[in-house]
Amino acid sequence: MALFYCQNVPESREADRQALEEACGETMALFPMPCSGRVEPVHLLRALEEFADAAYVITCPQGACRNFEGNSRAMKRMERTKSIIESIGLERERVGLIVCSKENPKSLAALAQEILEDISSLGPSPALGPVGGN
Amino acid sequence: MPSKYVIHTETVLRRFQPLIQSGIIAWEEGCLKCPVCVKKKCVYSVYDHRGLNARQMVESIDNECMNCLRCVQGCPNELIHKSINPEFAAMGDEHWTPNIIASLWAQSDSGKIPVSGAGYPGPFSGPGFDAIWTDMSEIVRPTRDGIHGREYISTAVDLGRTPAHLVFDAESGLLEDDSLLMNIPLPIILKVPAFGAISEKTLVGWAEAAKRLGTLFTVPEDMLKAIPADYGRWLFPSFSTASALEGLPDGCRMVELAFEDGLSEAIKRIKDFDPSILVSKKIPMVEGMADRAESLVASGVSIIHLEADFQGRRHDDPGTFLKDGIRSIHLKLVDAGTRDNVTLLASGGISMAEHVAKSIICGSDGVLVDFPMLIALECRMCRRCEKGLSCPVDIQDASAEWTAGRVINLVGAWHNQLLEVMGAMGIRDARRLRGEVGRAMFFDQLDRETFENMGAVVEECELE
Repeated sequence: MALFYCQNVPESREADRQALEEACGETMALFPMPCSGRVEPVHLLRALEEFADAAYVITCPQGACRNFEGNSRAMKRMERTKSIIESIGLERERVGLIVCSKENPKSLAALAQEILEDISSLGPSPALGPVGGN
Repeated sequence: MPSKYVIHTETVLRRFQPLIQSGIIAWEEGCLKCPVCVKKKCVYSVYDHRGLNARQMVESIDNECMNCLRCVQGCPNELIHKSINPEFAAMGDEHWTPNIIASLWAQSDSGKIPVSGAGYPGPFSGPGFDAIWTDMSEIVRPTRDGIHGREYISTAVDLGRTPAHLVFDAESGLLEDDSLLMNIPLPIILKVPAFGAISEKTLVGWAEAAKRLGTLFTVPEDMLKAIPADYGRWLFPSFSTASALEGLPDGCRMVELAFEDGLSEAIKRIKDFDPSILVSKKIPMVEGMADRAESLVASGVSIIHLEADFQGRRHDDPGTFLKDGIRSIHLKLVDAGTRDNVTLLASGGISMAEHVAKSIICGSDGVLVDFPMLIALECRMCRRCEKGLSCPVDIQDASAEWTAGRVINLVGAWHNQLLEVMGAMGIRDARRLRGEVGRAMFFDQLDRETFENMGAVVEECELE
């Protein structure tokens, strides 16, 4: 899974990222972003094309974006990406967006775990071809 | 006149996209469709050929952006923002700062010195070497045609003991003395860092760099086997036990002993094997190091290597920096009248070219450089290798030739900066720079001398 996350997500510093990579091994590629509004459909599509079975974005809570409207723009882009991958026959759930909660903040590791559980039923992406060759 | 020592550098491209300081966030929604978009007006044409490296998720617009912010200021609907890249800000630590790492990368690319400091707002002092200001009074009278011009500035230093006096026979002929000296063309010795995704190819690359630079390369005993025998002359093996001396490489001219038990026997054994081999004793930078150095010199050790931790601090007291350690040993030996009987080398936390000159000003003869050699190979000082995680820039896969080229570029840039600093000080020989504190100002000392007599400042006292 390719996971893009905003730097405002709780417990998402370099040390937390390394701890998460240590726990998850090769199953997760983590990409910290200056702002979730930076993520464009091309990021998610290229991840699905190159190496990922799923690509998710974690944003800061609504109204808490340092760039004012980065997370709301990320949501619009996510909808666009979902429609693109649906049109080529992939499941909409292969991309997704999680918004951090202001009231009940969860750490990056906890959110990543939840996403992994949610997508576990999807299986390998047909876009990547058979195992061992693209 | 001896031939000039010049380090030939050439561009050696990076293998990975570097982490950049900031990223462009360009909202596409809300565009007013201006007839001439600010993106088209970019003087560096950054927006004209955008590309995304999917493995690293790095965009070309970020790498090529020169931070002029014209697009950010010019977009009428404020659709373009710039934000600090959290990955860049998280690099390294308080000593190996992101800016130092990025500067070392740039120097390793081409051997050129990155321009920095324009519009610098301060601070003008800091911990460690940052508390030393070097004298640039001669900068108004530079050598006639630059640092590589007709006036030769020598960076060569001697390793070993210089003779205390000359002895003549009855016919006024000079008798040979037993002092042994080795000359290296610059006061920088390469050293294997304490961590890193290092492979055999990396070690061979570093040895090749030492050979081409004409300096030495310090290797722990367990890594010696990885380096071909023909590099023996350029190796400076470091042994942690007397029994490991069996693995002494052929042709090696200098050996480091890092153990205490059986030290004098080990030195005798090396001298019996080859009297021309120089022996260095490594001492950690801890309490009592100056006394230890003094006793080693008294016992005849001719080279001492003072090792601080990887951030250039004392192992048992992080508040004391390498400069203080060098200074305490240097002054102790000067007081004892034995300073010229020994070569003092220093290592740990040397991260910038200026640290070489400042270490020498504090009293060392030369320095050992470790982590900059790793950063030259695009290391991000993330220390993932220590936890068994994969190296983000696969240092272990880099070829020996590429490794050597990048390290030579870095040392070439540092050599030029040393020449610049020495030229600006009016010093023409690195050996003359040793302990030359008259060519520097120490912030602590100035602060004390200026404000000591003004009494204590009363806290929470507001000026009316």
